[in-house]
Amino acid sequence: MTQKHDKHLILDNCIKCSICVANCPVVKVTDKYAGPKQNGPDLERFRLDEPRAVHPSIEYCSNCKTCDVVCPSGVNVSAMNCKAKGEYVALHGAPIRDQVLGRVELICKAAQIAPALVNWAANVKPFRAIGEATFGVAADMPFPRFASRTFLQQYKPKKINNPKGKVLYYPGCYVNYYTPQVGLALAEVFAHNGIEMVVDSFNCCGLPTVSNGLTEVAKGYARNNVAKLNSYIEKGYKIITTCPSCNLTLRQEYHELFDMDTVRINNETYDAFEYLLMLHEAGKLDTRLKALPQRFGYHQPCHLRSVGFGIPSLEILRLIPQLEVHNLEAGCCGLSGSYGFKKEKYPISQEIGQNVVQAIQEAGVTQNITECGMCQLQINHLSGLPIHHPIQLLAEAYGLPSYLPK
Amino acid sequence: MNKKTDVLVIGAGLSGMMAAARAAQSGKKVTLLTKGMGTLSLTSGCIDLWGYEVDNPKQPCGSPFAQIQKVVEQNPSHPYAKVYDVLKESLTFFQGICDKDGLTYRDNGGENWLLPTAVGTLRPTYLAPTSMAVKDLNKVKQIVVAGFDELKDFYPEVLVTNLKKSKLLRPDCELTVAHLKSGWKKLYATSLAHRLEQPEGQREVIRQLKPLIKPGAIVLFPPALGERRDIDVAGLISKGLGCPVYEVTNLPPALPGQRLQDLFLKYLKNQGVTVILSSTVTGAQVAGNRCSHVTAEGAGKTFTISAQTYILATGSFVGGGFDSKPGQIEETIFGLPINTGDGKWASGEFLSLKGHPFNRFGIDVNDRLQPVDGQSKVILENVLVTGANLAGSEFSIEKCGNGVALASGFKAGKLAGEVSR
Repeated sequence: MTQKHDKHLILDNCIKCSICVANCPVVKVTDKYAGPKQNGPDLERFRLDEPRAVHPSIEYCSNCKTCDVVCPSGVNVSAMNCKAKGEYVALHGAPIRDQVLGRVELICKAAQIAPALVNWAANVKPFRAIGEATFGVAADMPFPRFASRTFLQQYKPKKINNPKGKVLYYPGCYVNYYTPQVGLALAEVFAHNGIEMVVDSFNCCGLPTVSNGLTEVAKGYARNNVAKLNSYIEKGYKIITTCPSCNLTLRQEYHELFDMDTVRINNETYDAFEYLLMLHEAGKLDTRLKALPQRFGYHQPCHLRSVGFGIPSLEILRLIPQLEVHNLEAGCCGLSGSYGFKKEKYPISQEIGQNVVQAIQEAGVTQNITECGMCQLQINHLSGLPIHHPIQLLAEAYGLPSYLPK
Repeated sequence: MNKKTDVLVIGAGLSGMMAAARAAQSGKKVTLLTKGMGTLSLTSGCIDLWGYEVDNPKQPCGSPFAQIQKVVEQNPSHPYAKVYDVLKESLTFFQGICDKDGLTYRDNGGENWLLPTAVGTLRPTYLAPTSMAVKDLNKVKQIVVAGFDELKDFYPEVLVTNLKKSKLLRPDCELTVAHLKSGWKKLYATSLAHRLEQPEGQREVIRQLKPLIKPGAIVLFPPALGERRDIDVAGLISKGLGCPVYEVTNLPPALPGQRLQDLFLKYLKNQGVTVILSSTVTGAQVAGNRCSHVTAEGAGKTFTISAQTYILATGSFVGGGFDSKPGQIEETIFGLPINTGDGKWASGEFLSLKGHPFNRFGIDVNDRLQPVDGQSKVILENVLVTGANLAGSEFSIEKCGNGVALASGFKAGKLAGEVSR
């Protein structure tokens, strides 16, 4: 494999076709964002000489990476935008709100002192109104609920005799602090298939930090994570993620944004379903699955689309008898991590998400699945319907604990 | 990791999507892989088959089929000669897919339409979506051209000034410029389309336009009358104004091409086609005269895909299927030979009506769309070549790009469907 090409060459590849603008979900619903082409390749040319050539509208980029996906010329538009946002914040500073929202890891660690209290406070309307008025955190966007115990606290490694493979699971902040059931279901599926799984404590992948322009903080996380991941790879472990954004960040963003060498990490890191699909192709996946006569809508997270290997979860779920999964095909859900929590961006985020609402109505589904925790949060908020990670359905079909609500 | 499929289509332009749709109809397991969104979304949204008379390239032609028949007889190396047998069938197939999803494409009784463009010229085209198919332009008493002050790339004065020169219009046809205001600081085609999907946006437009409308009028809009296919923006505004409204063709980004792309991608997924976006095919493994698998790279990580049939729909230069350096040109995946004629790349004159030789560069194929060498020997029997990759057409002058894409994609999909397991 090759790491991304020379950045000047990529810039020169832009033929100004505007396909990124035509597909940008933010541009469609607001006039506050100048668009991916203008903020990206157009201004990047100036930034080669003058890094301060940044447009204030860059803060409206949601970092969904649709621009990268649709570009026929391989221009890494979103990396240019992320760097520009970092440059803008370095010049003008970030509001306290963004400095806090970008440090998801710190929020989560602090909340661990008393998760139940934090969950309670996060839903008290007057508190949220004050939060919106004082800090600009949208009062109507529900915070995800902290689990009473983190994934790492709950997980107990299982002894596997003659394992078919050994993996290190990188749960990411969302699974560790909010949805540990996803990691626990994964552990069941792996153990069932004879895969040895270990865990360790890592920094946040840094994506929320980058999206808020806090580049230096993210670089610190990246350095720690790269060193630790490499030490596991040296011991023969594959790296597994269940969060598409963590996956993309470890594999691609550290290199694109910070010029770090992530060739080995890129080669050895897998989305959980990508790994399971590989087992399946090698004939090593247990396909004795019980029927699940149910119907789900499936939402593809933008960052999974961006990784560019299709939707492995749908290929695996197809093995489950009587399970019907309808691909919603609705594009970005609009939340984009902390973006939709910001007062001025909440209406944009909700407007973008209307496509998902419409697709759910058209499909007539009453429950959904998606890999990304933040997409889960937004789709539940928009539709009021339950939503899970696809690994939980697989665990269920194996007859293992799936941690699905009964 | 290796993915297995019956048919691998590389490229999500018109020919690739037609190929995938037709192969899926034969019950094949189809995978469509594309590095970008496919440039169909940047096209006008109309389907051109042939624009001007073969013997007089300044004269728009009536029936494109008559011209194509002439081309096929005179020039057996033109791509139409390889796919003429399925041309009409492929058009019916295309219209069927669009119709089923509520995006009706209209023909003009076998003749080309002459439809106004954003710069006021008349474009010969064969199929147009209802929102663009201006009926009886020669009988219209008033044409109101509605521009938005905040929208770049659409200037109603330019359209009116040039359209006035057309001999097609009634001599007493009145042309009116309307400058609408949206209340937004600036508009892109997509944001305008989104705004016009809201009842408030439609009311705003109707209120500003209504006083200008006279009996027998039509209104021409930039191609941004909504993105979603479940809201008929053109119909709603037309009802509010009491006269027909149409979109004209314009520079990208424009919505008619985007609607078509969106419709096809959804159709393919509903047919069970696996669509992999953001992934680039970087090379192929060949044994004898067959391809055994290709290597693809998404986010820097490689995987392989093996198939019975590979359809090369990568779109020559613009789509990235061909790479060129001074004096050198290559097909990027299989390294297929590219016919460069006598080796001359460009005509001296930029806007020559003879076109430029590089537009004719491409891969020579037989009637089964398999790539062949200079001695007509098949190079790779399980690789089929479609669309702009085919040698021998000058799409920019002939206006045959869509027709060649439709028919060659359809034929490749059909042939791939006939391969036994």
